[in-house]
Amino acid sequence: MAEVEETLKRIQTHKGVIGTIVVNAEGIPIRTTLDNSTTVQYAGLLHQLTMKARSTVRDIDPQNDLTFLRIRSKKHEIMVAPDKEYMLIVIQNPSE
Amino acid sequence: MSIPTAKLKKPTLKVTPSSRAMNISTSGILRLNRSATYARSINASVSRKSFCLAADSKILEKSSVQTPKHTIQVLDENGKDVTPRPVYQPDPAAVQSKHSKIFASDTSGGTMSDFYSTTYQTTTNASFAGAFTRSLFGSGSVSIGSQSIMESMSEEIEDPSSKRDNSISLSDVQVKREEVKELIQEEMLDDMVDLYLVESDTLCLLDMPAISVSVDSMEAESVKERNSRYTELCKNRTGNDKYMGRSMQTFNGASKTKEVQSEAITMADAATIANNWDMYDSFCSAGQGEVDLSTDTDKASIAEMIHQNHGPTRTMERTMSVISSSTIVSSSSSRMEMEPFVVPSESKPDPELILQSEEFQQHLFVMERIILENIYQPKLAAYRQLPTLEDPDSMPKAVPMVVSRREESSLDEEGPPTPALERLWSFSCELTTGRNVSSMAWNKRNPDLLAVGYGQFAFKDQKPGLVCCWSLKNPSWPERIFTCQSGVTALDFSASSASMLAVGMHDGTIATYNVQSREKTPVIDSSDCVHKHTSPVWQVRWINHERALSGEDKGEALISVSADGRISKWFLRKGLDCIDLMKLKRTRNDRFKRQVGEKERKSEALISRQAPGLCFDFHPTDSNIYLAGTEEGHIHKCSCSYNEQFLETYQAHKGPLYRITWSPFCSDVFLSCSSDWTIQLWRQDLFTPVLGFMSTQRAVYDVMWSPKWATVFGAVNEGRMEIWDLGASILDPTIVNPASPGVKLTSLLFATETDCVLVGDSDGQVSVYQLKNFTAGEGTQVGTLEDIIGSTLASQL
Repeated sequence: MAEVEETLKRIQTHKGVIGTIVVNAEGIPIRTTLDNSTTVQYAGLLHQLTMKARSTVRDIDPQNDLTFLRIRSKKHEIMVAPDKEYMLIVIQNPSE
Repeated sequence: MSIPTAKLKKPTLKVTPSSRAMNISTSGILRLNRSATYARSINASVSRKSFCLAADSKILEKSSVQTPKHTIQVLDENGKDVTPRPVYQPDPAAVQSKHSKIFASDTSGGTMSDFYSTTYQTTTNASFAGAFTRSLFGSGSVSIGSQSIMESMSEEIEDPSSKRDNSISLSDVQVKREEVKELIQEEMLDDMVDLYLVESDTLCLLDMPAISVSVDSMEAESVKERNSRYTELCKNRTGNDKYMGRSMQTFNGASKTKEVQSEAITMADAATIANNWDMYDSFCSAGQGEVDLSTDTDKASIAEMIHQNHGPTRTMERTMSVISSSTIVSSSSSRMEMEPFVVPSESKPDPELILQSEEFQQHLFVMERIILENIYQPKLAAYRQLPTLEDPDSMPKAVPMVVSRREESSLDEEGPPTPALERLWSFSCELTTGRNVSSMAWNKRNPDLLAVGYGQFAFKDQKPGLVCCWSLKNPSWPERIFTCQSGVTALDFSASSASMLAVGMHDGTIATYNVQSREKTPVIDSSDCVHKHTSPVWQVRWINHERALSGEDKGEALISVSADGRISKWFLRKGLDCIDLMKLKRTRNDRFKRQVGEKERKSEALISRQAPGLCFDFHPTDSNIYLAGTEEGHIHKCSCSYNEQFLETYQAHKGPLYRITWSPFCSDVFLSCSSDWTIQLWRQDLFTPVLGFMSTQRAVYDVMWSPKWATVFGAVNEGRMEIWDLGASILDPTIVNPASPGVKLTSLLFATETDCVLVGDSDGQVSVYQLKNFTAGEGTQVGTLEDIIGSTLASQL
């Protein structure tokens, strides 16, 4: 448990990391470093996108599954690690 | 008559469906001789409007006389043949008693139906149709009710029917049928059978006669006449005695309203999308469900299982189902007071469980690496000698830097670009700051894994040591952290089992760790060993002995040298145990040192007769020979098979030797560095060094040959790091990189596959530098080195 906390803290202190969000399967944030409205917005939107991405991957080959999702935009990079019970989201500005 | 015709003729009937003209009548007449019935019936069936035989009523009568049994023709006033068809075909055996009007027509219908049966093999339906057609059509054309026609027909029929012998005709029918069936036998199968396609009757199921008649039609006049008659009648009715008005009363039943109430039919929208993976999931879960169920369950229950498994297995719907269930629970909790006690206790441990789960840790691990990859991507690409890509979205602040670089490079345009070192990154974290890097080693199997040992060299300020395994993919936090009870002074990865790391410590302990596991404790420790080292272990090495020595097993052995003057070989035998390969005895400068004895006693009083060993190196090809360096400054060449005496001794250094390395390219050249500020290049057969290098007046802590170029080696002394290229210059280092002030550089390691150098310092940082613009010249490197040596020797002589 302590290791998990440490790792989370370390991730947050890396260069360019804007926020870290952990939400459970219902979209309720468990851990977040951003404010609540932003967190809920990110969680909701990314949940839908992750579902779509997973559906795409599995449609092509049902034995496959989605493990990681990265969205690179002009300003940020959003990295999503999806799972059955939770979703880990990190937003980073890589060019900082 | 029809019987013989039936015999003669196979069921082939010529029908001209389009024959509506009067022509057919003639053809029909022609055929009368043969089969009057058939022809007539055909015509009757097919050609609706031309009942052509009207003109030939005489002939008809004749034919009717000729064939009294079969031709029942009913002709109305226009001479049309309106022979009614029977409504149904009675069973010929059963019906002999029925002699009603209708059945009179049956005979004709019988023939007709027989005709039909021979052609179409249908029974009642055809006759049915025929009857209908006939009757209806007749009604349509005449515009009189069908009943009237029937009546007229029946009246007319009665006459001919009286002549008939119904039973005979019926029996004829019966016989005919049987005969027909007999005819189809085997010899006839091969015959060519002509099949004629006949247009079947149009079955008219509903005929609503028009209530208006066109002015042009033929009936118009009669209709007009009737209409006028009717109007007259109506006019006459009013004052006429014939007509009397009467009133009637009908009772209207009392109406009663009845109310019925039913529950509103709730409609719920259900939608589903069948995806590829959805079907695959249900298939997999159904397969599991079948295994669970007993063998004699029917499909319905399996289907139920599938539906039940749908919910939990489908991740997509899971969230929705959970949400819906939670809403149900919350709504029900308002009504019932029992529920709320259950709900909160279930949701509490969930976040904790999630955070503690394995998968979450794994995801965090991956995420961290990805974040770092984003940060370090250009540096790592440079390390791996990949072209670095410019981020197109990065801020334009990089532009002024580029400009300045251009300016610098323009100055150097004249000559070739100078070799330089570029600092890529450094492995460090808060655990390691303040610690002295004492040794570094690459993993033999995974070239991205680096083990770094932290420990003080000096005797004072000793603190617990640390071993960190760093991965290139995460320069900010080590993958494994092992704390040791005393400072770490030596490290080496095993080659045969790539996850074994041997660690030598300042208190003489040797421990091996398994870096694959997450345990913090060593696999084995030498602290229980009787013969363990009593002084700091300065070097450990896994050596692969190809040749077995004295019955010992082949394979890898751990060799260590320590300050208590012993070079020991360690192996596992009920715990870690060692045997001494060599005891480093103290030697004197003069050559006759072997005779230990009076001379020694006279000169000095010694604390121990062992010379502390500081370093050793095995020959790259011959694993029996090794060199050992002592604190006295002597290099001893020893053999594993001879542990009493040294083979050779090389004396040149005036201070403790910190490192000896064989050249990986030239097998009899080696380098040594010591605290007397010098690096010496030796050849195995010469007892004086071939070349000596001195650049500063600092103790040289580490020296290493480059794994890529034979003439290049790197050295690190207290203040700076140097790269020497003997092909370029034997007097000065080619690249010099000074250390940050206050920090001493303590160890050096070349990267095996790339042009990078790692330098460890006393502040706990391991910096990674890349050699840029560095080429060690053309030609074979080995040749160059040997040339240099040869030329130097020649010049010396």
